[in-house]
Order: sequence, then C-alpha cells, then structure tokens
Amino acid sequence: MNRIITTLCFLLFVVASAMAQRSINGTVTSSEGEALVGATVLVKGTTRGTVTDINGRYTLEVPANGTTIVVKYTGYSTMELPLGTSNVVDLVLADGTTLDEAVVVGYGTQQKRTITGTVSTIKGSDIAQLPAQSFDQLLQGRSPGVNINIPNGVLNNPPVIRIRGINSINLSSIPLIVIDGVPTYTNQFSQNSAANNPLSSIDPNDIESVEVLKDAAAAAIYGSRASAGVMLITTKRGKSGKTQLSYNNWVSWTQATRVPEVLNADQYLEVKNEAAANANLAGPQYFLDTIGGRKVDTRWADYIYRTGLSHNHNLGISGGSDKTTYYLSLGFTDQEGMIVGNSFQRMNSRLNFDHKVTKRFKVGGTVSYSESKNEAPNTGSLEGGAFATAGIGRLAFVLSPLVDPYKYDADGNRLPGLSGYNVANGALGVGKNKQSVGFLNPLPIIDLNRNVSGGNQIQANAFAQYQIIEGLNFRTQYGVDNLNGSNEQFWHPFHGDGLSSNGNATNIQVANRRWNFQNTLDYNRTFGDVHSIGALVGHEEQATTTEGWGASRTNIADPFFSTFQGNFTTIDPVANFQTKNYLLSYFGRLNYAFRNRYMVTANLRHDEYSAFAPGNQKGIFWGVSGGWTVSDEGFWKNTIGDWFNYFKIRASYGTVGNNAIGDFQSQYLYNSGLYGAAPTFTWTQAGNTDLSWETSKKFDAGIVFGFKNDRIQGEYTYFSNLIDGLILFAPQSPSRGIPGSTIPINVGSMINKGHEFALDVVAFRAGKFTWKTRPNITFMSNEVTELYNDSDILATTSGLETTNITRISEAVGSIYAVPTLGVNPENGRRLFVKKDGTVVQYNHAGGATRWTKLEDGSATSAPSLVADGVVQGTALPKWYGGWENTFTYGNIDLNIQMNYAGGNVIYNGSKAGLRDQRFWNNNTDVLNRWTENNTGGTIPRVVFGDNISNGSAFAISENVEKGDFLRIRNITLGYKIPFASKYFSSLRVYGNVNNAFLFTNYTGTDPEVSSNGNNNRTPGVDRNTVPMSRTFLLGLNLNF
Amino acid sequence: MNTKIFKFSLLAAFLLVAIGSGTGCRKELLTALPENQLAEAVSFETPDRFLSLLNGIYSQCKQGNFLGSRYSVFTDVRGEEFLNETGNGVTGLQTWNHTVVESTNEVNYIWNAGYQTINSINIYLEGAQANSRNLGNDALLANYLGEARFIRALCYHSMVLIYCRPYTDGNGSNLGLPLRLKAERLAIDNDLARSTVAEVYAQILDDLNFAETNLPQSYTPATDMRNTTRAHKNAAIALKARVYLGMDRYTDALAEANKLVPATAPFKATTGIQHELQANVKTVFTNYTTTESIFSFPFTTNNLPGTQNALGYYYNPAPRGNGEYSLNKAGSGIVADSVAFAVSDDRRGLIIIHTNNKPYLNKFAAGPQSTDYGPMIRYAEVLLTAAESEARVNGVNQRAVDLLNAVRTRSKGSAYALTDFADANALVAALLKERRIEFLGEGLRNFDIMRLNNPFPAKANVAAIPSSSNTYIWPMPSGERQVNKLLQPNP
Repeated sequence: MNRIITTLCFLLFVVASAMAQRSINGTVTSSEGEALVGATVLVKGTTRGTVTDINGRYTLEVPANGTTIVVKYTGYSTMELPLGTSNVVDLVLADGTTLDEAVVVGYGTQQKRTITGTVSTIKGSDIAQLPAQSFDQLLQGRSPGVNINIPNGVLNNPPVIRIRGINSINLSSIPLIVIDGVPTYTNQFSQNSAANNPLSSIDPNDIESVEVLKDAAAAAIYGSRASAGVMLITTKRGKSGKTQLSYNNWVSWTQATRVPEVLNADQYLEVKNEAAANANLAGPQYFLDTIGGRKVDTRWADYIYRTGLSHNHNLGISGGSDKTTYYLSLGFTDQEGMIVGNSFQRMNSRLNFDHKVTKRFKVGGTVSYSESKNEAPNTGSLEGGAFATAGIGRLAFVLSPLVDPYKYDADGNRLPGLSGYNVANGALGVGKNKQSVGFLNPLPIIDLNRNVSGGNQIQANAFAQYQIIEGLNFRTQYGVDNLNGSNEQFWHPFHGDGLSSNGNATNIQVANRRWNFQNTLDYNRTFGDVHSIGALVGHEEQATTTEGWGASRTNIADPFFSTFQGNFTTIDPVANFQTKNYLLSYFGRLNYAFRNRYMVTANLRHDEYSAFAPGNQKGIFWGVSGGWTVSDEGFWKNTIGDWFNYFKIRASYGTVGNNAIGDFQSQYLYNSGLYGAAPTFTWTQAGNTDLSWETSKKFDAGIVFGFKNDRIQGEYTYFSNLIDGLILFAPQSPSRGIPGSTIPINVGSMINKGHEFALDVVAFRAGKFTWKTRPNITFMSNEVTELYNDSDILATTSGLETTNITRISEAVGSIYAVPTLGVNPENGRRLFVKKDGTVVQYNHAGGATRWTKLEDGSATSAPSLVADGVVQGTALPKWYGGWENTFTYGNIDLNIQMNYAGGNVIYNGSKAGLRDQRFWNNNTDVLNRWTENNTGGTIPRVVFGDNISNGSAFAISENVEKGDFLRIRNITLGYKIPFASKYFSSLRVYGNVNNAFLFTNYTGTDPEVSSNGNNNRTPGVDRNTVPMSRTFLLGLNLNF
Repeated sequence: MNTKIFKFSLLAAFLLVAIGSGTGCRKELLTALPENQLAEAVSFETPDRFLSLLNGIYSQCKQGNFLGSRYSVFTDVRGEEFLNETGNGVTGLQTWNHTVVESTNEVNYIWNAGYQTINSINIYLEGAQANSRNLGNDALLANYLGEARFIRALCYHSMVLIYCRPYTDGNGSNLGLPLRLKAERLAIDNDLARSTVAEVYAQILDDLNFAETNLPQSYTPATDMRNTTRAHKNAAIALKARVYLGMDRYTDALAEANKLVPATAPFKATTGIQHELQANVKTVFTNYTTTESIFSFPFTTNNLPGTQNALGYYYNPAPRGNGEYSLNKAGSGIVADSVAFAVSDDRRGLIIIHTNNKPYLNKFAAGPQSTDYGPMIRYAEVLLTAAESEARVNGVNQRAVDLLNAVRTRSKGSAYALTDFADANALVAALLKERRIEFLGEGLRNFDIMRLNNPFPAKANVAAIPSSSNTYIWPMPSGERQVNKLLQPNP
C-alpha cells in the first residue's frame, strides 16, 4: 500500500512538473569524464531527440508529456533518467553493453536482456587501430569459446578460427561469416605462395561490432551452414547530426621472433666432419673458406628476415539529417612483413547509407569496394608447402654457413648480375666442400621470383523496409558479394623453381560471384509491459559461382621477360575450375518474454542445397531456448538484489548443419586431359548420391550475472556439441584404385564439450583512475566417437610426413609418432620402441643391419609409423582464453591484452630438420651429441646422411612437445592530448607492441603455429614454417 | 489510406511474384551439373569417349608416380649404377640407400598409381562391353580391350617386381599382389588377400595372350606415333618375352622373342610393325618413334611429366634437370668398366661429364622441359632376351652371339666371337653386362638383379643387400596395410 501511494505521489509530481514544454540542456560524459560526441538524447515515448555536440553538450525541447529522457551512445550503457525540476541535466554514461542494448542476431536485433542463446559481442573499437591485415587476426582471446591462431608471420595468412573447437573432420571448421547480412568468403584464396585472406578486404576500422553466435539457439537460423558457429559483422552506420570526421593512422615496425639458433661455421665444420668420419667417408668433407680475407660464416636468416615498415590510414566521415544518414570511409594500408619481399597493400572505401522515405518506409544500402595486393616469396609456410625446396622458412635454417650467398672476384668484389649468386648444378654452390651445402640459394629466388595474389571485392546490398502496422515490418534485401583474385607468379629460369621449366610465368584469375536475396516479415510488440512477442518469418536464396582459369607459360624466350605477357615457347592451361551452388531457404523465429523475466525462443530453418543429390537436398534445422531472469523476482530483489543485481539462467538445444562440401561432391566425375596429343577422360572423383550435410546437435546451458550494479558482470556456459553424420572421405584400400582412395560418406561422429567463463569487472575506480579487467577462459575437449569401419584416418603434413591421426576416443587430428627413448649411452644410437615393446636402435652406418634390437644386438626390421606409432596427445588446446586489462588515468590509457592456451601437444617437425645429419645445418643443441667422450649426450651420435635418428623419415615422439603458453598479445599506451581540443574534437596518440612477450616451454617457432593452415586433420604441426612476428606501432586518432 | 493500402498491396504483389516465380525458375540451380567435368553416366556414350577413356588409361599409367618416370628411376637407383647427389627424401633417397619403410612415400605412391590405372582398366573392360552398342564396331572393341589388358599386364608386372619376392625364389610360391580384376566404384570390398606370385604371373600371361590375339598388327601409316605410344601385337609379344625371362621360363621366352626375331640376321620383325635396331642408338633418344621403340610413353610440351617427375629431371645436371643422380664411376658401376664398355662405345656418347667432374646419364637430354619419351620396351631388349634364352636353353651358340653382337656392334662395341665363351654362364654374363650398358637408366636394372636373386651391390657408403634381406623388396605400403585387413605384410 505504501508503495502504491509513493508511486502515485511521484507520478503526480512528474505530471505537475511537466505540464508545459520546456527546454533542458546538459552534457553527456563518460565515467572517465570524457565528453561523448554524437550521443543520442531522446524524450522517451516521443520522436523528439537530438545529438550531443563536440563538447558533449545538448539542448532538447521537452514536450509537456515528456517525463523521461533516454541517452544512447554506442559502446556505452543506454541510460534512462526521469526528469526532475531542473532544466540542466548532466548525464554520465557507464560503458559496456548493458541489458537493454540491442545485439545483432541472425536477420535482426534483439535486446541483450531477452536473449536466451549464446551470443558474444566484440566491439569494433576494441580491434580497430591494431597492426593486422584482417579483423579476424585481432579476435584472439576476446571472447570465450573463440580460439584464433595466427599460423605464422606470413602477412595475411588466414588465421585458424575455431568456435568451441573443431566442428568437422573433413569440411570447413571456419564459422560462417556474415557481413551486414550477406555471407562472405573465407580461408586461403591465393593460387600461389603469397597468402591471401579474403577477409582482409574489410577495413577493421569500419567494423561497429562482431557478434559470435555459438549455440544452436543463436545459430539455428543459419541452418545448414551454422555447425562451426556464425560471426555477424556489422559495419558502422551514420548518425544524424553534425558531420563527424575522423582520421586514424598508424606506423609500425615488424620483426621475426624466435628464429632458430643454428651452428656457426666452426661448429658446423666440427659436427659435419665428425658425422662424415662416423659414416666412413674418407677424410673431411667440409672446409672453412675466406673471401677477401673475411671468414665465410653465413647467417642465412639475416638475409631472409628484416624489419618491415608499415603504415595505415583511415578517413571516416559520417553524419546526416533526420531523414538521411551516411557513413563514408576510405582506407589505405601498406604493410611490409618480417620476411624480405613480403608485403600487403589495401585500398578500400565504403558507403553505408540510410534514408527514411516516409515515416514507415525506409531504404538503405551499402557499397564497399576493396582492392588488395599480397606479395610474398615462397615461404614454405602455407598449407601444403612445408617441404617446398624453395621454401625460405626452411632455407633460413637448413643451409650451411660455410658458403656465401654471393660470388666474388679475386679482390673480394661481388661479381655482377646473375654470376654474382653462388649457385651451381641447380643448388647452392658447394665451394670447397665435397658434399652439398644446401638445396637452393634463397637470394636469387627472393630477388628474381615474384608471387602476387591480388584481389578486389565488391560487397553491396540494398534494402527496403516497410512498417505495415506498428511492430510489423517487412524487409527485403538484395546483396552481392563478388570477389576476384588475380594471381601472378614468375619463376626466373636462373635458379630454383623456375629452373626445371626454364622460366615459368603462371597467371591465374579467380572469380567468385554471389547474389543473396532475403525477405523477412518481423513482428515485435510488447503488450502492457508484460508480454513481449517477437516473430520472424523469412525467405532467403543464395547462388554462388566459382570460376578459375589460368595458364602457365614455360621455357622463356629471353630472360629479359619477367611477366606472363612476355614471350615463352610453351603455354599450358592451369587452375581451370568452374563450380556453382545454390541454397534456397525458409526460416522463422518466435520469441516470447513474460515481464522480461521468463523467456523462450524457437528457431526453425528449412534449407535446400544443390551440392547434394536430388532426394537429399532438403533439411530442417531448429533450436529452442529458454531463460529466466531470477534477479527480477521479488524474493531476489528484496533479499540479495542490492549487491547481486542480475542473475539469469538459460539453456538451449537444437540441430544445425555443415554443408561445406565441394559443389559437385555427390557426383562421379571424369576429368579430361591429354595423352601425348590425344584427349583423355580419367575418373577423378568418386561421389556418393546418399551424401548429406553433417548434423551438429548442440546443447548449451549457462548463467549470466551482475554484481554491485553490474560493476562485476560475468557468465558461465556449459556446452556439448555432438556432430553426427560427419562426411568422411572413407579410406578405401588403395588397391581398389578409387581416385584418392576415398569415398565420401556420412559416417563419423564426434563430440565437443566444455565450459566457458567470462568476467567483465571494473576492478578499481578512484578519481581519475579506473582499472577494468576482462578475463575469459574455456575448457574443452574433443572426442571422436565413430569412424568409417572404425578405421584410423592418418593425415600428412604437405602430403609427405604423417603427423596426425584421427582415431576413435581420441581428439580429431591427434599427434601420432613412433615412441623414442632418447639415446643409448652405450653407442649413441637413438632408441625406438616397437608396438610389441621391443626396443630397437638405429645406426645409419650399419650397412645391411642398421636396425638392431637393444636386448641382444640382433638385426631387426625398421619400425614404422603405421605399425608402431602411438598417439602422443591432442593437438587441440584443452584450455584457452584471453585476459584484457584497461587502465585509465585522466587522459592516459593503458591496455594489456593477454591470451593463453594449453593442454595440447605440438609436433615440432622443424626439430627433425634442425637435427638432420645430411648437409643440413643444425640447432645448437646438436653440440650436445653423443660421442665417446660425452656418453650422456642427448643427440644421437652423428652419422653423415642420417635422416632417420632425428625424425626426418617418420615422426618420432622425441619431437613432440607441450604447447602451453601465455602471451602478452598487445600492450597499448594512449594519451589524449588535452590542448588539441582547441583545434580538434579530440586527438589521441598511442603506442602498441603486438606479440610483446611469450611465455612457453615450447622450443619451436611458436606454440600457435599451424603449418597446415586451417586443416582439421593436421592441427598442431610446426614444420619448416617461418616464425611469428613482433610489431611496434605508433598511431593517432584524430576527430574533427 | 486507401492509396496506401493500394501501394502496399502492389509492393507485396510484386515481391511475391519476384520470390515465388523467381524461385520456381531458380530451382534449376539445385540440379546443376559441372560444365568442365563429365558425369559417369555418359562416359561411354560415344565412340570418341571410348577412345578418350582408353587414352586416359595410358595417361594414368604414364603418370609421374608410375611408369612415366619415377618407377623407372626408383627401380634403377636401387641398383649400383647411380649415386644420389641431393640427399632429397622425395626424390628416392631412401630407395637408393635401401631404407624405405612401409610409410615411405614412393612405396605408397607407386602402389596407388599402379592400382588406379588397374581399376580404370577394370572399369573400362566392364563399361566398354556393357555399352558396346555405343561404339558399334566389334573389331575396334576387341582392339581396345586388348590394349586395356596389355596395360594391366604391364602394371601388374611392374609392381610384382618390386613389392614381391622374385618368381624365381620358390617358383612363384611367395606372397604376390592382391589381384583386383573387377571394377571398383563403391565403398565395399576393401579387404582382399594377396595372391601368390605365381597367380599374379598367370594373370599377367593371360592378359598378354588376350592382348596378343586382339591387338592390331600396327597403325597406319607406318610413321603414326601410335605404333610406339599405343599397344600392338608386337608390344604384347615383347612384354611376354620379358615376363617369361623373369620367370626362368627361357624356352617360352625364346619362343615369344622368336616371333619378332628371325633365325638369322638381318634381325628385323617380320610380322606387325617392322621392328629393328636403328643404325645409331642415339637416334632412339632423339626420334622417339622409330621402329626400335616398341612401346614408349609420350611427353610433349603440352603434356609434360610435371614437377620432379621427368626422367631428365633426375638424370640431367642443371640447368636441364636437377642432377639428382650421377653415374657411379667407381667400383661397381658399369661406367667404371672400360673393357666391356669401351671408351669408343657409342653408348658412352649418352653420358656426359659435368662441370663437377661427375658422369651423368644423357639419354633424356631434352631438359629443362622434359619432352623425352619414357621408353618401356625397345627392340634391342627383345634381341638380348632372345640371345639370353638361346644361351640358357641351347648353351653357347652362334645365334646367341650374333644377337649379342647385333646390339653391341651397332654402337661400335667390339664383337664377341663364339670362342670367347667357355660355357653358357660366360655368355650369359656377357649378355647381362650388355644389358647394363644398353639399358642404363631405362628401368631394367632392378629386374635383372632380382630375377637372378643376385644381391644389390654396394655403392658409395651404402652396403650390399643380399637377396635374403627383408629390404631386398619393398614392404607392403602403409596405406594399403591400414585399410585392407586381409593384406599380409612382407616378412
């Protein structure tokens, strides 16, 4: 009764004080005291509103019935404030998403408060202004459940993106990435050795937010494509009001980290000649040399890595009137990698435009055009390239220090032109040595060869939206996404890859064309503040064609030519591909919330997809979810509500699919080629008309909570994802002669489950000082539960080295190797364990009896990976996460972002190379080899030519290492220059160190490494790849 | 208000038409077929496709991982004639130094390529007969089937030589290959045990007898390259002679060889293509389709062997190749034998001394674009097979010596006299040496060592491998071992 009276009194007071229209004014600032420019200030329940000026000030005419004002500003909590008598109302907005903020979901938005699926939001402002080629490289550690690995330091190499683990064995595990409603292209797009990630078309500065849909409730609306999760990218749009002009710029310096330490000339001489003697070769094989009095001691890595200089510019203009708003941006970036000859350039522009034709009718659109150019030497660091003889990742550590890269005359001057390169017989010149010293000389390759992968992408869409009745909107959208790639490769005939064809120029053009047509009818209404209803029905069609054509011109007419357009005697077609697919869908969603306290959501989607055979094209996907905001209950509010202000429980279940198979994968196909001059047809693809999408059954349950008026916010989620009907390329006995010895069948299953935790805490706030901390961590496991005929699937790195196995009850792509037991102190031989437990040892100088049993020295057969291999552990991190700390003091801000992962093992294949006893240079750990005087040596007795003892012939457990690490990913220190406000709205300068520190016991290049790119079956392999880079950056943000 | 309703209705109607009818038309997109690949269902639809599929079988057989180059390289470098120069594991290092294990790439790749060819043949044999009315020419069909079975024999013979104990070890009683003779298309029948070596040879002979009966005598005109690049009667006979030689069935080998070799000089085939020796052996390696080349695989600038696949890539020093293997001029190599292989011998002209002072084989000289054909059977081999069979069946005799001299003296090698040979063994030894000189780098060395159960001689720092060693033959490949549960490993 008291409450009612109080309420009535309050209302009377409000009504009385708002009898007449009046003008109020004030400023809107952040909790740090910074003026917020362009914040929207509205009178609740009316259309009246304004935006703040450059000093955060506003003036607003409040009509007689206006009682409350609402202030909205992106990235900050929306605030509602009942008006009192004062006409000066200053507002301080807390930052962070709050429960009433709209979150982008599939085909619409939803209030965060009522969402019952698992959606994480990453703000664009968190990832802008950092050194990267594409936004996805910057998402590391920022959201629970999302693990992102940068494979190595090759510019624009697509990161490995995994939402809650690997969600397929053979199909893509990259989430569906949707940009402003239109799904776009992902993964390696290059046709040569320059990496090219199509997502680099998007300027990270243009991104407003990235929403990650993780569970079935959130993702089911994307049906057959949602198995690996969905990322919705929303680009910035204009706000009505004064024109906002911003200019952002950074300059950075990039260097290679953790380059392997190899032997110098003296050490190399000692080890290799000892190895030669042990191999019974007559006399020393290697010799020191001098050039012009200087001792030759080449550090090859110094010729391959450099300090790369990059700069980045982005100019944004946004604004508009009440009816029309726009966001226009221009970007330019020019980046040099840590590898000589590796660069990335992008020019991009975007116009986002919205116009209200009438009160009910709205149109808008987006046009974005981006042009990029990637250039790189053959790094041997992209998927499939690990063993390329010209791969300079390996050449940086494999070549002998005893020879110089160049040739000199008697006076020590470098010989001119091509004669100045030290090459002989198609390899690095041996100089005085009797054995070879290297595969290739990397310098002519770097200097003379060229690999460019350029691209241009047009992403455009137009929409119209009509409000039929209040709450009911019809929207139609048509979008295109055309991605074109032009790949140019020139291999000079002088040395390396171009030698065997006497020069090779290969140009490949790739065109991806997509249209997407969507129509939705959306109803949203709240009745009497009690029943909130949301309903959506929609239709979507999408068609994509992918075409490639190219030619390889070989046998150069004259070395004068260095482009495809020059003259060559031979031309052969390459990379001719031509596929298309089509997806036809209907979908719907129903939300209901009772007093925003009890919420249920149901999603349904019907997909029909062309890649499957007729009869298997249609599928239904769905998700249901529910939530209960316990903290809105009276019993809660009245007891612990003061300090435990928010508590929500939610759960979801549903099924989604993965349809990312080849466009014609269900069909049996013959390719045409040549036999001499005669045309041929050869069976090249085994199909399967029973083929269908993979089904992912996702269960998800969690809590969301807030303490102390949301000063501490957090969430915990348990998830379990059972993936059924995995399309396995079921191994067929090679003797059956099926192409690739596989047939695709929906046969496997596996399960991902785990726990996600995230906190967002204002840890400390006093005066001008604030410390905010945002840790998150995910614990998860993957287990394969069914495979074709229960057969293991072995997988190789670059088609040569078997390193991974997919086996029932193990994680997908586990590391697989023959167990080794170190070195026999008696004779310096590596000890291996066969399946039956027999310990055998290897002596490369042993002639016909190289393999002997430890127990009696009797001859025995070689161990083999297939027969004797043992699973060494999962290659997938069992835990991973990130931790961001932001400190602000007045105008100074400091951000420290960490990420961490572990519980996995890595196959350090490069270690095998670094201990190989052919001419290959070795890691300095080889100095501790077994000799008669050092019987405790950890490296086997060196025998020249030995490629078995250290794992070059087959993977050994000696090279398996733990992958745990903690990385200080970013340290950013910024300062807002106060006096600049005289001339500009704001000016901030900042410095950043990217990949600042790495704490790990892993001895290879980097624990995040992936020599096999995004491949699901071969994660966690470090083979001949270039290392990671560290970047120092200076930048400024200027707002006019 | 009414106009609003009207406008809205109009818009709605328009969109419904766009979505509805449009979707109807676009439904065709759901059943798209590839435009640059042929669906299986129509693969035997026209006579041209019968021929294209057949040519596809040849092209699979000559792929880099099989008979087009690597098989020949690997089988030769197991022997004593070559030294590995690059230490590169992907270009046969482990084959050369006898350290292959079941997961070694070449052990798997050769197997996979061989069986892919065999399955294409099996599919062809079934498909061509089932769709014979689409060809409408029974004589041509018989030719085509003969060609397919000729290639199948060549595939099985090539593989049984390297994965299985020699026929002569226990008369074929050892483990042979899994004999796949049916078209394999679906995900069934993974498990198949190995037949015995004898059963594999029986199949090879059956295929070759069928081929001999059904293959054409020759293609016209006589200069048609198909007389070298496609199978014909003489090719089947010549291969059969080789097969019998490896089985220790010298009488049969002689009978087959004699179909192509007259009793006395001039030695020139009298049936089918008029096969004979060319005046200069070098001609064979510049003009690939002479009447000496009974069967070879073609390569052209538009149909190159591919990266690291060409014979020339392995044997030519840079820049024409990559000089993967030099000739072994010390100790056991035939190049070191200046008596049998005199400096004046024309075949020394097929060897060059490179700037590093090492000899390299120069038979496949057309680098860096390797358009050299891959020789499979030359008439010289038929002559030496005839000679060896004569010697083994009839002891030292004039015809055997004449045949040997025919090959030897055309390259200015000193002629042997009947009296040079104390017994048949001496004559056979000379013949075997002649084969090393004549066919250096042509893929026959492994065959000649193993059919006699001889050890692989030592070379450089690689020790000799006796025939009792388990590395004498290749292991069963890991890929097959993993899936084919009935496959027995080699001991």
